[in-house]
Amino acid sequence: MDSGSAIDRQAFDFLARAAGLNVDDPHMEELFPYVQNALAANEGLRNIDTSGFEPEASFDPAHFYQG
Amino acid sequence: MEPLELCYMSAGELSRHIRDRQVSPVEIIDAHLARIEATEPTLNSFITLLPDHAREAARRAEAQIQAGNYRGPLHGIPVGLKDLFNTAGVRTTSGSRVLDNFIPTEDCTVAARFQQAGAILLGKLNMHQFAYGPTGENFDYGHMHNPWNPEMVTGGSSGGSGSAAAAGQCTITMGSDTGGSVRIPAALCGIVGLKPTYGLVSRAGLTPLSWRLDHPGPMVRTVEDAAITMNAIAGHDPADPATTTRTVPDYTAALTGSVEGLRIGIVKEYFEAPLDSEVETAVRAAIAQMSELGATVTEVSLPMFADAQAISGTILMSEAAAYHRDLLAKDGDKLTPSVRLRLEAGLFVTAADYLKAQQARARFNYEMSQLFQEVDLLAGPSEPITAPPILATEVPIGGRTVGTVGALTQYTRPYNISGTPAISVPCGFSQAGMPMGLQLAGRAFEDATVLRAAHAYEQSTGWHLQRPPV
Repeated sequence: MDSGSAIDRQAFDFLARAAGLNVDDPHMEELFPYVQNALAANEGLRNIDTSGFEPEASFDPAHFYQG
Repeated sequence: MEPLELCYMSAGELSRHIRDRQVSPVEIIDAHLARIEATEPTLNSFITLLPDHAREAARRAEAQIQAGNYRGPLHGIPVGLKDLFNTAGVRTTSGSRVLDNFIPTEDCTVAARFQQAGAILLGKLNMHQFAYGPTGENFDYGHMHNPWNPEMVTGGSSGGSGSAAAAGQCTITMGSDTGGSVRIPAALCGIVGLKPTYGLVSRAGLTPLSWRLDHPGPMVRTVEDAAITMNAIAGHDPADPATTTRTVPDYTAALTGSVEGLRIGIVKEYFEAPLDSEVETAVRAAIAQMSELGATVTEVSLPMFADAQAISGTILMSEAAAYHRDLLAKDGDKLTPSVRLRLEAGLFVTAADYLKAQQARARFNYEMSQLFQEVDLLAGPSEPITAPPILATEVPIGGRTVGTVGALTQYTRPYNISGTPAISVPCGFSQAGMPMGLQLAGRAFEDATVLRAAHAYEQSTGWHLQRPPV
């Protein structure tokens, strides 16, 4: 599932329904373009080379800063 | 002493007068309540004011001190808490009418530690709804207004904390910082705001926005007051599993007035981003001043600065949506429309993207840790602009028009990702009379070094002594 800027209405409706939102609510007409823009703003994430780095399940900043 | 002078004294000064019985907590609280009456609702800093509670607590403090039971530098000092810090018996709205009748039965850890230290709660402070916005606009309880020009935003989300401290309504306020919500209003209101190291101050009893990005922190008028506050609130809390078990130092002892020997890095990418020329001039002058004070200043590079928005945005959206999912289902239509949209959008971030953001965070933090091998502190602007007008969705910066939300968070988000300490300290005023902030950031759990450098700079200037016209 692509959650970048390419999210189309079909994918939006599918995810909205899965999230428990009422896809027939007129509010969805406002939410759809907002979600498109919000996901597009974070699209650069996919281009970051993260090879060799595991996701931080439990965050401890000290782990990175031992003098 | 003149009541207004009491309102603009730092906690450090007030505490010395209280200890020596030159002024009583009752006088101090009365002065602050009069100040609040004179400046509200112009500023609209408070959601809930507690005059009776405060007067009673002041009388109690006075009796304790007269009996020889002085508790220390916060005894009798007026404090305000952002309205997402739970307070037993006092409603805690998180800036939303949905929680207008929510009255916690227990204090959050920070409130409890203030109470143990003898501080006096004056009230609960206005904020961007559920802390999800950097401007300090609130459609349920009214917008917050900047004391330097009430037509301008305070910044957010801890906007009431910023205006209350700047205008002498409270001596100490507390905010919470997920993408800059302590440092943004601190910079825009001309006060000091410290985002401590993640895990140094307990989040227990605060309404979360993002579990892995939220940092409670002091918002005050002097760096010494930030240190005094940290001495009272920092340290392990069994109720917050993220808090450190390290020994917490005496932060006031770090305020030597010297930056001799400190290595300060200027992140070159900060000055390539949209940045108002007046702010740039003020920040460069502040850094030059630190060099004159004895610090070594060098230029450094943080290439992943450009990725900070995507990393923190993805984590924030996901975690905020996860926490508020039930609220959205039950009362979504009662939320401020922009906040509702932000929360709902998080439901569309996939688990794969959330984990990619956490991987990217690990790489970002590795890159920043490499920088901290070269330097002790990073310096730059807290904000690229001074406070914009209330409800402005776009702002002009150097001939470009950029979104207000992105602009206000561009320099603050990196340190929510890294979890490292960062402070905003006043560094000047624009020609229009609006404050500007210098941001200094250090290694994890080296908050004392950040405070030391900020204090040395502050004491070499008079910016923190200026008073707003309100």
